[in-house]
Amino acid sequence: MRKLIEGMVISLIGLSAVWGAYQIPAAQEGETWAGLVPMIVAVCLSLGGAIIVIGGFTESTITKSNVSFRPSTTIIEVSGLAVLAFSYHYAISAFGYLLPTALVAPIALYTFGVRSPIGLAVSIVLCPLVFHTIFFELLGVFPPYGTVFDPLDLIRS
Amino acid sequence: MEIFSALSFVLTSPMLIVAILLAAVVGMIVGAIPGLTAAAAIAMLLPITYYMDPLFALAFLYVIGKSGRYGGSIAAILFNTPGTAASAATQLDGYPLAQQGKAGKAMKVATISSVIGDFMGDILLIVGVGAIASVALRLGPPETFAIYFTAFIVIGSVIGKSIAKGLISALLGGLIAMIGLDPISGEERFTFGVFDLTNGIGLVPLMIGVFVLGEVFDQMEKRNKRMAALNTKAYDKNNDGLTWEEYKPCLPHAIRGGFIGSCIGILPGLGSAIAAFVSYGEGKRRAKKPEQWGKGALEGIAAPESANNAVSGPSMAPLMTLGIPGSTIGAILLGVFLIHGIQVGPTLFLTSKELIYQLFACGLIGIAAYGLIGYFGASQVAKLIVRIPQNVLYPMIFLTSFIASYSARGSMFDVLVMICAGVVGWFMRKYEFNTAAFIISFVLAKGTEESLRQSLLMSDGGLMVFIERPIALIFILLGISVMLLRIRSIRRERNQAENKELNNA
Repeated sequence: MRKLIEGMVISLIGLSAVWGAYQIPAAQEGETWAGLVPMIVAVCLSLGGAIIVIGGFTESTITKSNVSFRPSTTIIEVSGLAVLAFSYHYAISAFGYLLPTALVAPIALYTFGVRSPIGLAVSIVLCPLVFHTIFFELLGVFPPYGTVFDPLDLIRS
Repeated sequence: MEIFSALSFVLTSPMLIVAILLAAVVGMIVGAIPGLTAAAAIAMLLPITYYMDPLFALAFLYVIGKSGRYGGSIAAILFNTPGTAASAATQLDGYPLAQQGKAGKAMKVATISSVIGDFMGDILLIVGVGAIASVALRLGPPETFAIYFTAFIVIGSVIGKSIAKGLISALLGGLIAMIGLDPISGEERFTFGVFDLTNGIGLVPLMIGVFVLGEVFDQMEKRNKRMAALNTKAYDKNNDGLTWEEYKPCLPHAIRGGFIGSCIGILPGLGSAIAAFVSYGEGKRRAKKPEQWGKGALEGIAAPESANNAVSGPSMAPLMTLGIPGSTIGAILLGVFLIHGIQVGPTLFLTSKELIYQLFACGLIGIAAYGLIGYFGASQVAKLIVRIPQNVLYPMIFLTSFIASYSARGSMFDVLVMICAGVVGWFMRKYEFNTAAFIISFVLAKGTEESLRQSLLMSDGGLMVFIERPIALIFILLGISVMLLRIRSIRRERNQAENKELNNA
């Protein structure tokens, strides 16, 4: 069953890529088509997916997989961290680097099992401070600007 | 002769020496922490090197890669947990030795053998790379495409357990590389009207996502599994030293391992783990007392450790001469070259010869550095690793991955790419797809496309150009043969496993 789903997902990606490659305009006289390699890759990907699907159908014996996959726990835990990651990205775009990092640092630590209130409190101050100092002050990277509100404006003014 | 002037330059640059020493320690620690690979550390540190001098940046990351390969042996011997895939072979005899109170002896054998293998690999690289580059300069687009094609097939089919999944991983990497503007006609491809995609997907955020954030997601699952504590009985002061008499039987295994690792290292994608296990198997086959292997034979550490580290130097040869990264670390180093505007390929030895030999010199000094630090301080490194709280380490890596991916181009879109790549990387690991093949193919795709289209223009759209030119044909046949041999070996392994099951039943 797992092989079937894997193969179907890969085939779906491949077929979407075939459609995407098909949208690329035709080449002018004396040039090669820009969609040639994308189309070859997409077709091979679709075929690769199909091979896995066929392998899933024809597998005569049920073999034990080395991977232990427990959707109930694994997916929820990792999804939580992924949601935190996407939220952090959105928050940086809206509020700059400092504020979101101060909020996300203790949440990430808590997620990984840190329960010390002092440790979590310290991370609120220390993480944005250390990262900001290293990257934006010492290395001279231009910090991301918060479109809604950026505390860095207040600090610098 | 260039290497001697490069060595004298590096030895008289105090800041460079400090960077090499620091890289040796960082690599050793990173390599010894199970789950955290040298590739992940290098990917994370890559954006920082944007602000460094090219030699400084390359030397720092190159030595981390070398030292990281060695560092895996520390965890394998002391914690019975291989720090890297390659050190799983070292674990077979390393941990039994630690249980006998001979961890100090085992660590010293691992260190000396790693240094021997690494020196052998680097010397081979220094001697041979110039010749390969001069041949590579004469290759036309059809030959270049044939080499890329072979690299794709080898990388996709040899790494990992499943050929189909390996090749699919390579194709996925190639597909992602196609996003953006066509380099020849300027047509948009797979952008779906999203402006940010017209610039394509950046190598740095993709690598940080797959290797770093993907690993953080992976560790999220494993966070309840605590790292094994350091066995206090592993170090017996009476058994800590290593005499010449004890190392003498290990020397042939270390030298043979060095040759095996060097040969495997030249082939793109094969990597340290294959070299280590091939060397271990060959060493056991030739051993005077093979029955002792797996129970705590010092030779059983020398053979895989030497091969594991010997891969490091030669794996740079395809990268520097053809622009084909032979390993994940090679792919990341390619990113460093590109960040600093250095074009990797056959012309590298014409445009940046001095820099390349200085990098080789840094590599040689790096080997000596991690050798000395490892010989005298591996136990201290092990004690330090036990003290690093994993539940603090990974959240900090999580935060660093964001700022590191942003720093490369100052783009929040890159951060989004990194997160998506992290999720994809985690899924790929979960479903046993090959992340190394994915990244290496992403790097190879543009060169492959360019050489294919140039070849087609040369031949008015005909494919005979790949058959009529002997070098191109040889490489294409080589790629197909490797894949067929791999299919055969997998089928044989499967049949043996089924027969074993039937016999047991």
